[in-house]
Amino acid sequence: MPSSTHHVVLGNGIAGNHAADVIRKRDPNSRITIISAGALLFYNRYDLPDVFRGRHQWVDYLVHPPEYYESQNITLRRKTRVVELDPQTQTLSLAHRETLHYDKLLIATGGHAYIPARLLDDVGLMHSFHNFRVAMQVQNAVRKNGTVIMLGGDVMGLDLARTIIATGHRVIVALDNRTFWPHEIAQSERARYLQALESMGLDIWDHGKVDHIEAGNSKGPARQVFFEDGSEIRGDVVMPFFGLVPTVDFLATSGIDMERGILVSPQLQTARDNIWAAGDVCQIWSATSNAYRFYYGYRNVKMMGEVAAYNMTGEQSAFESTVDEALEVTSKGLLHSPFWEYD
Amino acid sequence: MAKQTDIQISICGSAGDGTIAVGDIFKRAMARAGYRVIAFDHYPAEIRGFGKCISRTRISTNQVYSMKSYSDVLVSLNDLHAIPHVGEVRDYGAIIYDSAPMSAVAEGAHISGHLMPGHLPYALPIRELSELATGANRSRNIVALGFIAGLYQLPQQAFHQAIAAKFETKAPAVADTALAAFDSGFKSGSSTYKFDDVQIDHSRARKNGGEVRMMTGNGAIAHGCLEAGIETFFGYPITPATGIMERLAVEMPRRGGRLVQTEDEIAAISATIGAGYAGARAATATSGPGLALMAEMLGLGVMAEVPAVVFVSQRGGPSTGMPTKTEQSDLNLAVWGGHGDARRIVLAPTNVEGCRRCAARAFEMAEKFQVPVIVLIDLYLSNRYETVFLQGEDNFLPKNWQRVGSSSPGDNYRRYELTADGLSPRCVPGEAGGIHTATGLEHDEYGHPNDNPDVHSLMSKKRHEKLHDAMKYPGINFTKRFGDKGKIDVGLLAWGSTFGEALEAVLLAREEGIRCAAMKVVMMSPLPTRPILRFCNDCQQVLVPELNYTGQFANLVAGELGRPVVRVSHATGAPMDINYLLTAIRNAAKKKLRSKTTTSNPAKA
Repeated sequence: MPSSTHHVVLGNGIAGNHAADVIRKRDPNSRITIISAGALLFYNRYDLPDVFRGRHQWVDYLVHPPEYYESQNITLRRKTRVVELDPQTQTLSLAHRETLHYDKLLIATGGHAYIPARLLDDVGLMHSFHNFRVAMQVQNAVRKNGTVIMLGGDVMGLDLARTIIATGHRVIVALDNRTFWPHEIAQSERARYLQALESMGLDIWDHGKVDHIEAGNSKGPARQVFFEDGSEIRGDVVMPFFGLVPTVDFLATSGIDMERGILVSPQLQTARDNIWAAGDVCQIWSATSNAYRFYYGYRNVKMMGEVAAYNMTGEQSAFESTVDEALEVTSKGLLHSPFWEYD
Repeated sequence: MAKQTDIQISICGSAGDGTIAVGDIFKRAMARAGYRVIAFDHYPAEIRGFGKCISRTRISTNQVYSMKSYSDVLVSLNDLHAIPHVGEVRDYGAIIYDSAPMSAVAEGAHISGHLMPGHLPYALPIRELSELATGANRSRNIVALGFIAGLYQLPQQAFHQAIAAKFETKAPAVADTALAAFDSGFKSGSSTYKFDDVQIDHSRARKNGGEVRMMTGNGAIAHGCLEAGIETFFGYPITPATGIMERLAVEMPRRGGRLVQTEDEIAAISATIGAGYAGARAATATSGPGLALMAEMLGLGVMAEVPAVVFVSQRGGPSTGMPTKTEQSDLNLAVWGGHGDARRIVLAPTNVEGCRRCAARAFEMAEKFQVPVIVLIDLYLSNRYETVFLQGEDNFLPKNWQRVGSSSPGDNYRRYELTADGLSPRCVPGEAGGIHTATGLEHDEYGHPNDNPDVHSLMSKKRHEKLHDAMKYPGINFTKRFGDKGKIDVGLLAWGSTFGEALEAVLLAREEGIRCAAMKVVMMSPLPTRPILRFCNDCQQVLVPELNYTGQFANLVAGELGRPVVRVSHATGAPMDINYLLTAIRNAAKKKLRSKTTTSNPAKA
């Protein structure tokens, strides 16, 4: 049946793209627009550590070739930033002063790296790893057999560390109370997990909070990290891995209920009509926990995209995670996080 | 090994955005940096207002022959104009646009919503950068230029020099502002991660060897006129030929020449023929409508055997037609236009360097063969920029006609003497022993009016047959074959500006394994039938691409050779599309294959 519904998906990640794929299958004639702040087509960010293995062409990371979007009749608007959402008029205001009407909206803008307030002045001296461009910058900045300093050490960072070590570099993890984020490790178990990190080849640096970061001199490593206890370490790059915060700045005036993320029902619907949310950006009501909570990892995020798509096209499905969220220490003494798994 | 550079950049804006100006700086900077350049601008007929302007520039390290059918980079200075051209950009090419426009845009009116999935977007706050760098938004075009230079790591110095040269006649503050805007864009481009696969390898750019100039076809014609020692020019402005007169108006007075803007085209050709009669190297320039007005006087030039050079740049017609769009639809008029059997020489150069050479040789040929010579180009060639490499190999001849010779006052001087080659001893007024009558009436050897049937028959023969030797005139390749030698499947017989596209299409078809070649034909009248026939006999099928509706050159060839050709006519006002030609070649090659199959199996025939 012909449909003139305009489905707009904010976010070009796993949740958004899977949702668009499902919407297209369920509503072949609708209009679908994906809005992305980045320049590239959908690519697999879980593969980005491969830049250290010599995979330097962004085209090699694409999930779909350009022809996919044409064959699926999906419009992808890249380098496009949403600055405001008006649920009353069902319009999005874009940074380049265009307004875009939607009939049904999925917010799947994901999250970005959390930087503790005490380190905000040093942001320019740190490298993130959230997209291909910065991944290449990190790869270029790390010298042969060079050193990467990871502050915090969440599971995304630890996943990257595995590849960096395997490609002949050194990784120093400066411990923090967000190490292993989003896994919550009991204090009594912490030593066992840290030992697993050392078994994986990481160097542990347990000297409390970072005081500040400085650029190194031209002869040595490019960065020096100073800790409050007066100690310091040196490396080619400093990478913050303190977990994620949802990307929701543009929703400030929207009236959508938020805590840290967007609050949604198990059906992933927000409190406003025709707006759903999926992925790292949303907190889903859990009757079990009697609270809104985040669900992380590829499989959870992909499932959220699918559930949202079904519900945007007339269903009333509820999201249920099937992912065991426990951080494991394998029989070989190595760490394994379920959030590292993807297909 | 580094790849050869061959990219095309299109800049699209509205009239008043400085689109053509910034394209001009880009092409001149790239020529300074050692690249070969071909560039062509699209602009509206209106002087100023809301029309669309596009400046397209192809830069390469190897010889190329035309604009590409697609662009590698598109810069939008006006989204409404640029959006229809998004499809011209190839996959993994770049689109650069303003991410911070001055005013709100309606849904769907921003270019970011129209990019194809294979395009790489560069959203640049062009207006903001311009304002920050210069205090105004008028330098958006230069900011975008700087961004391109920074993104592709082009030599900043070459751009600084080109900007300084562009504004050298203005107050110093103008150039300073432009340089500030350029540097702002350059800094932004240098710090932008390049996702597209557009490669410009500066190490392969040309470092030396001969004098390099950037010229348009019109500029090259003016250059050729000056090299040939033009003495007088009479003209009436008309797009797209006006540029010839504008350039000569600056240069000729400096060299002792005279240029007069006449009241119309009839006066221009009349004065040109008068000056030629008086012994001056004289020329005029016009377009199709002007040539139509000149037709009667061209007949006088033929009958009185007076040298004159007429440069004609074709545009979309008939009537006022499309003054700023290109077409090759005045061939019939150039070759046959006028009354009587008024055969003249018509040359049609195929590129900018050819414009220069044909212009200079036209004066020599007009004098040698005592006849008007038309140099026929079109808007695409008139306005197309190319790098021209002047190696000094051309040695154009000074005035040197067959004078009265030994005649002295009182001798029986026969101005129209019937000779073996049809060329009679010419003299100019005032020359001793040269008393004669020059008239539009049919005449005898002395020039006396005479309508005797034998006289008319002999003089008609003389006026036609003297031009046979024109096909042997040295210094110009009147025909030249490119591509596969020997018997081939498909041949393209092309003339004028279209030849570049024809040759590019042939080169692409050869890469696909099709045996094919292209022949350029520069002399349209008299038509060099022998080499053309040899070429046609080598071809299973002959395609004649041209920018008109009826196939005027195809008709000329088919008529003179009595051989069928396939018309590939294209009358859109735009240059020939290489892909259109390539498709025609593929189809012709397939037909040839089918015909072979049929022939080899008579039972199926």
